[in-house]
Amino acid sequence: MANLQLELKEMIITALDLEDIEADEIDDAEPLFVEGLGLDSIDALEIGLALQKQYGIKLKADSKETHDHFASINALAALVESHRGTNS
Amino acid sequence: MKKLSTWLSDTNDKPIAILAGQVISKRQFCTKVAAWQTRLPLVPKQKWAVYHNDAIEFLAILFALWHSKCMACIPSDNCEATVTRLSANVAGFIGEFSLVGDQASVWQLADGFDENSLAQPLWNTLEKSFPALEVYTSGSTGEPKPIIRTLEQIDHELASLELLWPLSASAMVLSTVTHQHLFGLTFRLFWPLVKGQIFQAKHCPFTEDIYHLATQCERFILISTPAHLKRLNDQLDWLGLAGKCEATISSAAPLKYEDSLYAAQLLNAPIFEIYGSSETGALAWRNQSKKDQDYWTLLPNVKLEATSTSGRFLAIGAHIAPEYQALSDNIEQIAEDRFYLRGRTDRIVKVEGKRLSLAKLEKCLEESEWVHTAKALVVVRKREEVAVVIELSNLGLSLLKQRSEKWLATQLKTQLKASFEPVLLPRRWRFVKALPYNQQGKLPMESLQTLFQPVQPKWPTELDRKHSNNHCEFTFHIPAELVYFEGHFDGNPILPGIAQTHWAQHYGRKVFAFSGKFVRLEAIKFQQIIFPDSEVTLKLEFLPKKNRLAFQYLSSKGVHSSGRICFE
Repeated sequence: MANLQLELKEMIITALDLEDIEADEIDDAEPLFVEGLGLDSIDALEIGLALQKQYGIKLKADSKETHDHFASINALAALVESHRGTNS
Repeated sequence: MKKLSTWLSDTNDKPIAILAGQVISKRQFCTKVAAWQTRLPLVPKQKWAVYHNDAIEFLAILFALWHSKCMACIPSDNCEATVTRLSANVAGFIGEFSLVGDQASVWQLADGFDENSLAQPLWNTLEKSFPALEVYTSGSTGEPKPIIRTLEQIDHELASLELLWPLSASAMVLSTVTHQHLFGLTFRLFWPLVKGQIFQAKHCPFTEDIYHLATQCERFILISTPAHLKRLNDQLDWLGLAGKCEATISSAAPLKYEDSLYAAQLLNAPIFEIYGSSETGALAWRNQSKKDQDYWTLLPNVKLEATSTSGRFLAIGAHIAPEYQALSDNIEQIAEDRFYLRGRTDRIVKVEGKRLSLAKLEKCLEESEWVHTAKALVVVRKREEVAVVIELSNLGLSLLKQRSEKWLATQLKTQLKASFEPVLLPRRWRFVKALPYNQQGKLPMESLQTLFQPVQPKWPTELDRKHSNNHCEFTFHIPAELVYFEGHFDGNPILPGIAQTHWAQHYGRKVFAFSGKFVRLEAIKFQQIIFPDSEVTLKLEFLPKKNRLAFQYLSSKGVHSSGRICFE
């Protein structure tokens, strides 16, 4: 599980071309948007694409649900885990 | 086609929108308008600020205001600074605002309010010429500039659009953009409404949402922007939607030819672009189905006129108020109704389709006592983003000694949050001793840009790691941008052997935590080339008795290289 969190942090740093931040500086529970990492709406689009490319996840149509999944690294990890669960 | 000014008083009941899967009829909608009218203490000529994510509530509030000859002031966001800025000028805030202190009050419909308990009033034809709408845009000074429109002007604009594109009214309108700015308002709400075309009340920023809704309708029209269209997810089964998309309309910024082609292929539909501004509304259009079709064509009933003095152009049309006719873009006219856009006449830029005054950003940064001078610019790496170069004040410099550049950037960014929306906040910060002025005393844009060129990576991207005792196995992606590919060799990049041994040592030290000094290499073999963008496995084994690290790079092609590194 901890490996997945690390993997997601690396994915975000690469996909969003972030600088001055290492994976281990991102807190698993901190908010990714506005507060915490301070990502924006364009970043959300990019993360959506990266999730599809790396994990084959198609986001559900409900924006509220998507919003919840994008809350933190832990929430993203839970999304990836549950997706693996339904496909294995 | 109907008019916005007569739409409410027309008694014809028909579906107007879909909200959460439910059809909203005109009758239901009018009940909402009545509910808002009852709720709000409206007096003609008042101005009210409106922000609501639900397009149905939003429109109902607008009609309630207009029916009482009040102006709807529509900020692009509901953040604190916006509320503070508006509070002295509006009678109140309606919808989704959170207020601080004793600013004017927020009006919402009470919970459990029974809209059906209201009798349907008789609706009058709306007055056409009073100031009905106020939207904001950043002026060249950086201060948000109000722009006022009447219903008559809006109706003229819609008539021009309908003349240009008499698209069928049966396609559902889907949108990735909100209605809190003019493009969204006009194209996803007003035009469908007067045309009798059903629109989705929810705006869908993600491709997946659009795709999902599109699968549920017979035909659709997509209202979007370059920021969304260039990021359409090509992994979805777009072929399954073939023939459903009637057209896509994009605005906010010009779409690159490649991006236009990409979106047109996925959606299997023409991509129409609109050129316009908050000041003027829609002015011209283009469809880049071929590479050389990047010129713009004026909308019906719009004319361009060159001014004799400044070289600037005026846009003349019934929907453009005289004070907003002068364009802030450089125009190269190639025919009476055709032209190219050649950049701005001022320091306003577009960042992922959102307008930013670089002057305002610099001014805000320079208000900090830590900052001596700030220069802002747009850089394009993986996306369009705002970057700033800062010369610190003495106070800032002494703070930098105690803290770090990152800390300073975070503090300054936090201060900007109140005045800029997230996409416009600087993402890259450079603190310099002196700004790179040249001998002519100018600050060349290129020398600022070079400060933001990406640092080429020196390491592979770790995709997976399996570690047990003295064994460790990494799965790596080899990025094509690696510094080691440069000049090794021109046109035929391959990963140098020295980089491979260096990585083996680096990752070995990281996972096995040994500290001896490097002595020599043993049994080194380079068998197969490693190319950019490939995936390889690095197998490491630490031999503690001999203080050696054995490594092997493998892939589906077999062994690429192997050897042992000996330590003291």
